[in-house]
Amino acid sequence: AAEDAGLGIDEEIKVVRKRQPIPKLDENRLLSDPGIPKLRKISKERLRFKGKGHEYGDIARMLNMYQLWLDDLYPRAKFADGLVMIEKLGHTKRIQLMRKEWIDEGKPRHTTEPDDED
Amino acid sequence: AQTTLDEWAKDPVDPEIRAHVYSLITALGGIGDDGTYSLGDDALLCLKDLRKWLKFADGQLNRRDVARCMAEANLVKGDLLEILAKISERIMQDRLKHKLAVATLELLVPLTWPFEIDPVEATVNHHRHGPYIQLAQIGYKRAILQYDRARILQTAIRIALPSMAVPLRERTPRDEGIIRIALYFIRNIAMLSPPRNAPMDIDEAEISRSTTIDTFQEQDIFQAILSVASSIGEDFVTQDVVVLEILFYLLKGIDAEKLFMEDKKLKSKNTDELKSLIQKEKAMLAGYARHAPTRHNRFGTMIWVKRDEDKVSTISGQDVLGKAQKSMQKMDTSKKWNKPKYTGRRKDGEQEREEFDLPVTLTPSARKRIKAFVEEFLDSSFNPLFLHLRKAIERETERVETRHPRQYFYLVSWFLRAECARRRTMKEKAADPKSNEALTAEDESYGLVAEVMNQETFILLNRFMQKSQDEKAWQDLNAGMKCFTQILLTVQEMSESALEDDQEIAENTQNRIFYEEATHDRVVHILRSYKDQGFGYLDAVTELSHVFLRMLERYSKQNVDMQVRSKRRARKIRKKQAEAQGLEGEEEGHVSETEDIVAAQRTVSERKFDFTRFAAKFINQSSVNTFVAFTRYYSELDAEQLKRAHRFFYRVAFKLDIAVLLYRVDILQLFNKMIKGPEGLDQESPAFKEWEEFVRHFFRTVVKRVQDRPELVVEMLFSKIPATIFYLEHGYDRELPTRT
Repeated sequence: AAEDAGLGIDEEIKVVRKRQPIPKLDENRLLSDPGIPKLRKISKERLRFKGKGHEYGDIARMLNMYQLWLDDLYPRAKFADGLVMIEKLGHTKRIQLMRKEWIDEGKPRHTTEPDDED
Repeated sequence: AQTTLDEWAKDPVDPEIRAHVYSLITALGGIGDDGTYSLGDDALLCLKDLRKWLKFADGQLNRRDVARCMAEANLVKGDLLEILAKISERIMQDRLKHKLAVATLELLVPLTWPFEIDPVEATVNHHRHGPYIQLAQIGYKRAILQYDRARILQTAIRIALPSMAVPLRERTPRDEGIIRIALYFIRNIAMLSPPRNAPMDIDEAEISRSTTIDTFQEQDIFQAILSVASSIGEDFVTQDVVVLEILFYLLKGIDAEKLFMEDKKLKSKNTDELKSLIQKEKAMLAGYARHAPTRHNRFGTMIWVKRDEDKVSTISGQDVLGKAQKSMQKMDTSKKWNKPKYTGRRKDGEQEREEFDLPVTLTPSARKRIKAFVEEFLDSSFNPLFLHLRKAIERETERVETRHPRQYFYLVSWFLRAECARRRTMKEKAADPKSNEALTAEDESYGLVAEVMNQETFILLNRFMQKSQDEKAWQDLNAGMKCFTQILLTVQEMSESALEDDQEIAENTQNRIFYEEATHDRVVHILRSYKDQGFGYLDAVTELSHVFLRMLERYSKQNVDMQVRSKRRARKIRKKQAEAQGLEGEEEGHVSETEDIVAAQRTVSERKFDFTRFAAKFINQSSVNTFVAFTRYYSELDAEQLKRAHRFFYRVAFKLDIAVLLYRVDILQLFNKMIKGPEGLDQESPAFKEWEEFVRHFFRTVVKRVQDRPELVVEMLFSKIPATIFYLEHGYDRELPTRT
C-alpha cells in the first residue's frame, strides 16, 4: 500500500540513544578486587595506631582510610552516603556469608569443621 | 477573536450565587441615620437565609462558593459583629434580640470552622477557594479578638447562659444546641492559626496565642470554661470533648515548666538561654573563621593530594593548604551527587507533625494569665473533666472522634508536668526562709491529679499505645509516649514526697506499672522500630526509653524480689503445680506447698538478674540506630537531650559491654565530628566535657579492638550479625551447651 511505495526511505530514522546506565554500588562491586579485598589488604599494610593519648588522631586516620577507599571504589557517592549504601548491602545473604568467612579466617585455629551453610 | 479583560478575569464563583448572597447581605442592614449600624427590616430572615445558603449550597453540593462570597463581602466584620455589638446589651432581656443573636452566632460558627481538605470528599472547588478562605478566617479571628466596641466572645457565652442555667434534665435539644455552638465558637477562635504555607498581610501578633489568652481573660472566657469543666457530669455531659479541644488548642506547645517558674528565675533562665545562644553563635563563627581563607577569593591555590598507586586528586582553594583533614573533607563535599532521600509519607504528615511539637512563646502578661487559669483548673476541674473524658473514650461514645484520645493524652501529660512544676516552686518558696509562704505543697497530696494516676487510666493508655502502634498512627503514639513518660516522672516525684501516703501510693503505682511484662516489651519494641517519624517523635521515644530504663533499674534494685507477670512464666509454674498435684496426689498438701516455695524462690532468684536481661534486650542494633538518628541532631539538642543520648551510649559501651554494636564507621564519624568538628558541639557547652570524655574513652577501646582483631576493619562497615557479635566482642566463641 502507501507505506510500501516509499520503501520506508522517506521516513526519518529515529535514533534512540540509550542512557548510559549509572554504575551501581552493589554486591558484585563490593566483592570485586577494589572492594573489600582491597580494604583488607590496605588495612593490614597501612593502618598504624599510635595508641594512648592519640585516640582522635588514630580514629581520624582510620576514617580517612575508609574515605579514600570508598572514593576509589565508588567515586560518585559522598562518604556518608556510601557508608549507608554499604551498610544496606550487608543485610544480603551473600555478603553475610562472606563476612562470616572473613571472621572465621581470622580465628586462631580452624579446628571446627566448616559449617553446614553451603 | 480578541480576548477581553473581563473574559480573562473570570469570576471563580458562580455569578448567580454571588448575586443572591450579595443581595441578602445588603438587605441585612447598614449604617443608619445616626451613624451606627441599623438593622434591616427582615434582618432575622436574612440571617436565616444566609445560613441556609451556607448549609445547602456549600454543605450539600460540596462547594465553597458561598463561604468565599461572604468573605469577599466582608460579612463578618461589616455586619455580623456590628449586629452583635448593637444588641449585646439586651440579649438576656429581649427575646427577639436573643433570637437575632443566636442566628448571628449560627452563621459565625460555620464561617470560622477550621478549614480542612478531606481528600475523599474534596472537589476542585475546595482547592480553588481554600487558600482564600483560610486567609479570610484569620481575618475573622483578628476582627473578633480586636473588636473594640463589644466583647464578642463574652457575648457568645451570654447567648448560651439562659440555656446553661436550665437544669440538665429539663434542657431542650435547642438549648443543648445553643450551648454547643457557643462553645464551638470559642473553640474555633482558639484553634484558628495562620496557615504555614500562605503569606499574610496582617501582623501575626494580633492573632497570636498570647493575644488569644489575653482576650480570653479580658472577656471572662476562662471563667466560663472553668464553670463548664468543673460541673461536667452534673450539668454538662456532651460538652466534655469541646472543652477538651479548647484546652488543647490553648495549651499545646506551651512549656509547662517555664510557666511555673518565678519571674526572676525565668528572667535569669531566659538570659542564660540568650547567653548560651550567643555563645553558640560565636563558637560557630569562630569555627568558620578558623577555616576561612586568609586571602581574596581569586587567589587561585591548587593542591594535589597524593594517593596510593601514584594517583593524585586535585583540590582548589587555599583553605586546604597544610590541613590534611580539611582537604579530605573538601574532597567529599565537592561531590555533586546525593543519595536520594526517602521522601514518602510526608504529604499529610506535615500538619500532624507540627501539631504539638512546636514550641510557643508567650508574652509576660499572657503567661501570668494562663498560669492563673491552669492553677485554678487543676484545683477545681481537672479530676472531674478527665474522669469524664476517660469514661467517654473507654465507651467509644459517638461524640469522641479519632483526634480526641490523642488530645486527651497530650493534655494529661501537660497537666501532670504543670502540677509537678507547680509543687516544686511551692516547695522552693516554702523552703526559702525569707518568704512567709506556708508549706502548702506538703499538706496537699497528689490528689489533684489522682484521676489520671489510677489503674483504669493505665489500662486505657496501654491499649491506646498498642493500638496506635499497630495502626501506625505515629502522632497518637507520640502523645501516648509523652503521657506515659510524664506518669513515670510524676510517680518518681511522688515517691520522694514527704507524705507517707504519697510514698505508698507511688510504690503501688510502680508495682502496677512494672508488673506487666507486656509494658516492658512495648517500650523496647517502640524504641527498636523507629523509622522516619520525625524529630518530635524521636524525641519522645528516646525520652520514654531513657526514663523507663532508669526508673526500672532503680526499682528493681530496691525490690530485689520483683515479680513480673509474663505469660510464659506463669504457665511454667502452673504446669509445675499441676504436676505436683497430679503425680503426688496423696502428699498433695505438703509437697505442693514446698513446690510453690521452690517455684517462688526460683522466680525471685531469676528476677535478681532480670534487669540485666531486660537491659540486654533493650540494647541492640536497632535501638542503637534510633539513638544514633537522635544524636545526629546534636547541634539542635539541649543539655538534657544530649545527656540522654550520652547515658545510652555509655550504657551500651561500658556497662553492658557490647560496644561492638557501636563499631561502625558512620557512628565513629558522627562522634568524631561532634567533638573535633567542623560544626561540632560547642566546646563551652556543659555537655561537651562529658561527651568528649566518653568519645575519647570509646575511641581508645576501638583502637585496641581493631589491633586485636583485624577482621573488625571489614565488620566496621556493617551492622553486626547476631552469630558473630559474641566472637567480635570477646575474641572467642560462646560455649554452647551441648545437648544430648
